[in-house]
Amino acid sequence: MLESLTNFAMNTGILGFMNSAWGWPIIESLHFVGLCLLLGTVGVFDLRMLGVARGASFIDLHKLVPFGVAGFGLNVLTGAMFVVSAPDQYLFNPAFISKLLFMLIAGLNMLCFYALYAREVRSTPPSDQLVSRAKIVAGVSLLAWCLVIVCGRLITYYRPPYHWCVFC
Amino acid sequence: MALVVGVNIAVCLNLLTSSQDSFSAAITRFYPIHWWGVLVIFLSGIALLIAYPAKALTNPVFFLKLLALAAALTIARYFQNNLQLAQVDVKKRQLAKKLAASALVLWLITLFAGRFLAYTHSVLLASRYF
Repeated sequence: MLESLTNFAMNTGILGFMNSAWGWPIIESLHFVGLCLLLGTVGVFDLRMLGVARGASFIDLHKLVPFGVAGFGLNVLTGAMFVVSAPDQYLFNPAFISKLLFMLIAGLNMLCFYALYAREVRSTPPSDQLVSRAKIVAGVSLLAWCLVIVCGRLITYYRPPYHWCVFC
Repeated sequence: MALVVGVNIAVCLNLLTSSQDSFSAAITRFYPIHWWGVLVIFLSGIALLIAYPAKALTNPVFFLKLLALAAALTIARYFQNNLQLAQVDVKKRQLAKKLAASALVLWLITLFAGRFLAYTHSVLLASRYF
């Protein structure tokens, strides 16, 4: 798997770009821009669901979610560039595995939101509070994304082979 | 940082994507929590500056980041105080849209400069000068 990822990075020119003078910091910066887009839309919507900024309309805030999806897309793209450029530093890294786990939790939580609460939230007037079950979904989402950020930051401090991982 | 930039992105996108009359000034109610984020940035930034003063103070990118951050936060303060008025005043609304576009560029500069700090320093420790 490591070999095929490295071959892919070499054949597509990603490895050359990432190892150029400014390749890695440019992609890191774009990764953070995507993250801020995600937090600025999905995170702000979660905060509103939790009761912050009462008076701000759920419908208006939900209109910004496509920007968050675009930010997530940017993160997946730039994140994949990191992984294929140094697969051994990511696939055996406990912080990276934890990051993926929290992303999975955030994704499943989002499915739960759209399946159970989205209609109710959209029809709630700006000045009203939500039912507590919807607040739990918002809290889980916010916590999961915060942990994704924390684990992302920790990746550089838990580089293999110096740290434990499930594949070692 | 993600909280601070995130709230500002939400306000700016709300301003830029809404039609002339329909933007919601209520979104500025997120600013109080945003200023708590600014406090965390300030305190953690001071801690990093104390830990590696030479690394930051000898790097022009650090001052670019500070300038962009200060300008972006000034716009945030303006939005917090004036967006309610911009809802009824056409001139203020046009100015707010221009400021929102400028703020997005300033936040991009802040993010890129912040990330590039790790790659552009020429001095790491102040002990080099002693």
